Amino acid sequence: MVATSVQGKRLADYKPGRTGEISYFLNDYIAGKLMSMGVLPGSRIELVRQSPLGDSIYIKADNQFLALRKAEAACIVMK
Amino acid sequence: MHRNEIRTGAAPAKFKIALLGNPNSGKSSIFNQLTGLRQKVGNFPGVTVDKKTGELLFDNGSLPALLIDFPGTYSLYPHSEDERIVVQTFVNPADPNYPDAVIYVADLTRLEKHLLLFTQLKDLGLPLILALNMVDLAEKEGLEVNIEQLEKGLQCPVIAISARTGQGMDKLKATLAQWAQQQPALSDSSFYRFTPQEEAIIAAVQQHFPHYKAYQALLALHHHSWLSHLSGEERSVLAAIAEQHHFQRLRNQVEETMERYDRFTPIMRQSLRRHEVVPSTITAKLDAVLTHRLAGPFIFFGLMALLFQAIFSWAEMPMNWIEQIFGFLSQQASARLPEGWLSSLITDGLLPGLGGIIVFVPQIAILFFLISLLEEVGYMARAVFLFDRIMQVFGLNGRSVVALISGGACAIPAIMSARTIGHPRERLITILVTPLISCSARIPVYTVLIGFIIPQNLSWGIFNLQGLAFMGLYLLGILATLLSALVFKWILPTRERSFLMLELPEYRAPVMRNIGLTVWEKVKTFVSEAGKVILFMAIILWALASFSLPGRMDAAKAHAAAEASAQQLSAEKAEALSAAYCLEASFAGILGQAIEPAIKPLGFDWKIGIALITSFAAREVFVGTMATIYSLGNTTDEFSVRQQMARERDPRTGRLVYDLATSLSLIIFYVFAMMCMSTLAVVKRETKSWKWPLVQFTFMTTLAYLSSLLVYWIFS
Repeated sequence: MVATSVQGKRLADYKPGRTGEISYFLNDYIAGKLMSMGVLPGSRIELVRQSPLGDSIYIKADNQFLALRKAEAACIVMK
Repeated sequence: MHRNEIRTGAAPAKFKIALLGNPNSGKSSIFNQLTGLRQKVGNFPGVTVDKKTGELLFDNGSLPALLIDFPGTYSLYPHSEDERIVVQTFVNPADPNYPDAVIYVADLTRLEKHLLLFTQLKDLGLPLILALNMVDLAEKEGLEVNIEQLEKGLQCPVIAISARTGQGMDKLKATLAQWAQQQPALSDSSFYRFTPQEEAIIAAVQQHFPHYKAYQALLALHHHSWLSHLSGEERSVLAAIAEQHHFQRLRNQVEETMERYDRFTPIMRQSLRRHEVVPSTITAKLDAVLTHRLAGPFIFFGLMALLFQAIFSWAEMPMNWIEQIFGFLSQQASARLPEGWLSSLITDGLLPGLGGIIVFVPQIAILFFLISLLEEVGYMARAVFLFDRIMQVFGLNGRSVVALISGGACAIPAIMSARTIGHPRERLITILVTPLISCSARIPVYTVLIGFIIPQNLSWGIFNLQGLAFMGLYLLGILATLLSALVFKWILPTRERSFLMLELPEYRAPVMRNIGLTVWEKVKTFVSEAGKVILFMAIILWALASFSLPGRMDAAKAHAAAEASAQQLSAEKAEALSAAYCLEASFAGILGQAIEPAIKPLGFDWKIGIALITSFAAREVFVGTMATIYSLGNTTDEFSVRQQMARERDPRTGRLVYDLATSLSLIIFYVFAMMCMSTLAVVKRETKSWKWPLVQFTFMTTLAYLSSLLVYWIFS
């Protein structure tokens, strides 16, 4: 992963309450899993809250709720 | 047909229907609707994934079909062991579970994400029905679906159903009945449009595997490294093709997935009256509390306290009944049967063995009722989210918390509950470490021994010191559990990448039928599978305690009788003395004396050795064995046993046997040692091999031995 080439903010940097749209994924493995669950480039994401220890996030993606690790959210680049 | 050759046996092969769908599509509810109590649980070859099958009966006179419930799957590009099973089966037409037709279950209120796997299956060419589940909820949410249009767009029969209300199930069954009578035609059209590169690759694969359909060929190439039906040679052929065509696995998968979404999304939008379903605010409101950073864990532990209470104390009454019933049966049998080994086998071996199996049923039933209730309403996924981080440190899963807490009552249902953990290594570690949590069977042992360590009525402020020591033993168990988990995490390899990416389904009212069937299935499996092993071991233990080398038992009885008449003992006391001498003379007694050199460094004598052997039936048997050894007759009263033990002195040195060092060493041994054959039987059943129960037995016993050795060395 080449960090310098990343345009835009990652989902992992979002604060609770913030919404945005997925631009692209940095990791094909994570992209494959998320896309099979219906989370695609263009999906509307809201970071709803963080887990008790702050390492995972609770998100709303389009009309469903999902839990992700921060490390996974760091592979999601937002528009 | 290629697959017909594979079917084994002379009996005509049953029409096989696969039930498939994403997790949370309500697939299991449909399976339960269609098969009810006619379902069986087995496992897929080579893995511990449950395979549920059930007979599907038809009214039209056609032969019953076999319905196979496949694990919930998001796509044919698997991310878990469960999903790999699906791919393994569907890529290989020779697989014994390869179906003749597929029911694909999709949640109508989430159709936009449930169609991906559907289109993938479509390209495998199998006859397919799309069952749109939750049509009742969709109507409530103001979502209307044009079935005809969807059928035209997807080129597949579509049936709107509700597993909850049973709506549409007749129509689904009628279509299946038709198919069972007359095999539907296989379709050759592909939903997905292959790229030129993919077409070249497919042609290359089909040269070597002519019976593969186009998409099967592509999938075989993608997954060739792990598909178990491929030979080493076939694998290298596929690897060579991949290299030759510069096939980038993951990239290709992402692009194919995008293309599929692009194709089915417009079809879906045209068929649905309103395509945006707003998630009900109930879930959002509930989760604001239930997954709150502070309130969330607090509520979770409240629920767990309730669950613990339920298996710990609600189960007690039915468990007492079961024990009383079996005690009564033993009594009756011993009164009616002529004295001899057969009577002893029935009253001391078989009946207690059976009772020892049935006695777990209340705990298993209550625990699984509560766990499947939490699972069914959608709460379990939240627990995983809350505890993912902390459990990850120990190589465990959020769901492991439930198993560990249940282990405080009994390891047996707790280990069975680990079944819901998807990641194989996380499930295995949970199974391996759960018995280190102090279970309720250890309480009588702790109660007897703690009196030797801490005098009664000693307190420290408001705390009773014995109570504090009890808590210390529990904490020691928890500490050992977590540390062992760490060690196993470090030792055990895994090929699974760890990830969370978890769907948090909407909260829904539970379907009681599903919960009832889960409880029924868990109880049935325990009794029929683990029960066999438990009964077998119970009879072995009985034989060890009842038989000996020729003549030794008679000599022991004669010795006891002589001593009893010399001391003019009452009949009851004489019998107790005889029982003590017989146990001493039995194989168990011989074994106890044989292992004395090994347990001497822990401060244990051969009498304790006997108790260690017999309490393998269940830890609380320790108390009963001590009572027999010390000629107390049939008592399980902890205090009279303790009094007797407190008087016991070493015949050679005259020192008290249960001094601080020995008592501490013994109690520590009971905290750590794997002394429960029922747990081993369940671990064998859950891991499908004797390897893991053996590993568990060895590591726990070693841990117990070394800790006791250390404690004895420090305090003596």
